[in-house]
Amino acid sequence: MASDVMTKLDPKSKAAAKGFSDLTIRNLFIIPTIVFLIVFNIFPLLYSLGYSFTDFRASTNNPAKFVGLQNYRDLLSDPFIWKNFSITAKYVLISVTGQVVVGFGLAMLLNRTLPLKGLITTLLLLPMMLSMAVVGLFWKLLYDPNFGIINYFLGLGKFEWLADPDVALWAIAIVDIWMWAPFVMLLSLAGLSAVPKHLYEAAEIDRAGSLYTFFRITLPMVAPILMIAIIFRTMEAFKTFDLAYVLSSQPTTELIAIRLYKMAFQEWQTGMSSAFAYIVLIMVVAITNIYVKYLNKVKAR
Amino acid sequence: MAQIEMRNVQKFFGANQVLKDFHLTIEDGEFVVMLGQSGGGKTTALRAIAGLETITDGKILINGKEVQDKKAADRDIAFVFQSFSLYPHMTVRENIAFPLRAVRMDAAERDSAIKEVAETLQIAQHLDRKPSALSGGDMQRVAIGRALVRRPQALLMDEPLGVLDTELREQMRAEIKRLHIARGSTSVYVTHDQIEAMSLADRIVILHDGVLQQVGSPDDVYLHPTNLFVAKFVGSPVMNIADVHIEGSRVALPGDGAGFQFDETTLSKLQNTGDGVTLGIRPEAVLLSQKKSKGYVEAVTTNIEPLGSHDIVDVRLGDTVMRARTESGFVRGEGAQVWVNLDPSQAHFFDNKTELNLRGGA
Repeated sequence: MASDVMTKLDPKSKAAAKGFSDLTIRNLFIIPTIVFLIVFNIFPLLYSLGYSFTDFRASTNNPAKFVGLQNYRDLLSDPFIWKNFSITAKYVLISVTGQVVVGFGLAMLLNRTLPLKGLITTLLLLPMMLSMAVVGLFWKLLYDPNFGIINYFLGLGKFEWLADPDVALWAIAIVDIWMWAPFVMLLSLAGLSAVPKHLYEAAEIDRAGSLYTFFRITLPMVAPILMIAIIFRTMEAFKTFDLAYVLSSQPTTELIAIRLYKMAFQEWQTGMSSAFAYIVLIMVVAITNIYVKYLNKVKAR
Repeated sequence: MAQIEMRNVQKFFGANQVLKDFHLTIEDGEFVVMLGQSGGGKTTALRAIAGLETITDGKILINGKEVQDKKAADRDIAFVFQSFSLYPHMTVRENIAFPLRAVRMDAAERDSAIKEVAETLQIAQHLDRKPSALSGGDMQRVAIGRALVRRPQALLMDEPLGVLDTELREQMRAEIKRLHIARGSTSVYVTHDQIEAMSLADRIVILHDGVLQQVGSPDDVYLHPTNLFVAKFVGSPVMNIADVHIEGSRVALPGDGAGFQFDETTLSKLQNTGDGVTLGIRPEAVLLSQKKSKGYVEAVTTNIEPLGSHDIVDVRLGDTVMRARTESGFVRGEGAQVWVNLDPSQAHFFDNKTELNLRGGA
C-alpha cells in the first residue's frame, strides 16, 4: 500500500531514536488536516443539508421540526428569490464578459516585446492582490457624487453611481472588472505566448488578414486556457458578496449571496437559508460542469 | 509562375551580417536549391524572398517588380516550413482550405481545388483527420498541398524534409521532383544536405557565411568548384585535400618523396600567386593499381569501407591519407600494398590564401 512507496525512515535519525515509525510520522502530518477538513467543511455541509429540511431558527431555542421539501418549494416559487437570481445572472454576465474583453485585450497588447514589460505586467496585477472589502471602500470614495474623482474626470457633476438603481449593478461590475481583468490577462498571456510563432508566419504566407488570423488561429489556440479563466471568474462572480455589500444596498444590487446572508443572519431563517445555499451550490456545480464539458471539447480539437 | 531576382541584398541581425551583397536571379520554372551549412544565410535568403524577413539593403524583384517593402501576403508566394506549421486545431481539409478561405474564394471552386491537390499528393483519404493523427510524411504532403492549392507565383521550401527519417526523405524527394516537373512552378529549396541538393536542383546556390560561393548546375559545382569550401562541401565522401609542393611537372605530397607527374602545361596555366597550393582530388580520381606501373606511387592501405556497390579505400602517402573509390573487393584488406596515381584532369589546385580554384574554375 502507501507505505510501500514512502521513503524509509533513516534508522539513525532523531525521530527513529524517539521510537517513531514511518507510519506515525505520516499520520502526524495527515490527521490534523483531515480532522480540520471534517470539522469545518464536511460536517457543516452535511449538517446544513439536514437543516435544509427543517424550520430551524438559530435565534430561538425551539427544536427543529422536519418539514420535508417545504423550504425548497417555498424558495423556488418565491418571485423575489428569482429576482435575486436574475440580478446575479446579469451581474455575472456583465462582469465576466468585461473581464474577458479587458483582460484579453491587455494580454494582446502585452504579448510583444515592450520596454519595461515586466514592470507593467506587475503593476497591472496589483488590483488582484488587494482585499475585496478594501477595494469596495476605495471605489465607494472614487464613485462619491460630491468629491469622487470619477465624476470629476468624466465631468458628470453629481452623478449618483451607487444610489441610482439602474446604474449601481454596473458600477459594482466595473469594480469587479477592474480588480479581476488582470487575472484573465495573466492566463491569456500564458496562452498567447504558447501559440507557436511559425503559425502566424504560415498564416501571413497564406494571405490571411489580421482579423481572420485572430479568429481562426489566435482565438482557437488560446480558447482552452481562456475557458479556464472564465470558469474561475464565473464561479467567483456567482458568489460575489463583499464587494456588492460594501458598495451598495440597492434592491437592484441584491445578489443571491447577499440575500442568503440576510436570510441566514438577519432574519435567522436557518433552515430556509440552508436550503437556499444548497440550491446555489447545485447551480454553481451545474454551470461549472457545462463549462468543463465545453472545455474538454475545445481541448479535444 | 515567376522570375525572382535579388540584387545587392544585405541583411544584418544587429551587428551580425548574415547576407553579404547577395545577387541571384531565379528563372521562371526553375528549381533552385540553396545549399550551405547552418548559419550560412540560406534560410535568411529564402525568408527574405518570402517577406518573412525584412532586408537591410538591396532589392528583391518578382517578375521585375520590386517587392522588398511588401508584406508576405502581397507577394503571392507559398512557403513550406521545416516544422510543417500545420494549424493543429483544423482538419487536413481546413488546413488546405485556409489560404483559399483567407481570400474568400467561393466554396465550389475551393472544393475542386482541394480535391485536385489532395489527389495529386495522395492525401485524399486523410482530409477529415487532424494533423496530429498523420505520419511525418503525410504532414509534409499536407503542408505542400496547402502551399500549392492556391497556385502561387513561386514555391519556397525551407528544409522541408529535415525532420523526416532517411527512407521517407528519399521518397519525398522523388515526390517533390515529380511535382515540380508536373507543375513547373518556380521553386526555391533550402537544405544542408548536398545529396538532396544534387538530386533536386536545376541549379545549386552555395552559401557560406552569408556570401554566395558558387551558382551552377549540380554537375558544374561538382566538377568545377570555384573554391575550397565548395569543393569540400559538395560530394560524398569528401574531396581529398592536401598541401602540396609543385616542382616543375612534379606534384609532391608532404613526407612523400616521389610525388606525381603532371602535364607541365596544366601546371603552368595555374594562376599561382606564390602563397602555397592545396591539392583537391575526389576519391574517384584517385586511381589504385595492384601492380607497379608508370607514374604510380607505392602506398599502403589503412582502412577499407565496403559499401556494396563500391569500396572506399584509405591509402597512406607520406603524411597524408587519401581516400580512393574502387570497385568492391578490389583491395582485400588493411596493410595491403598498392600503387596510386591521380587523374590530372580531375585534380584541383587551390590557393592557400584566397582558397580560390587556381584552374579558374574550369
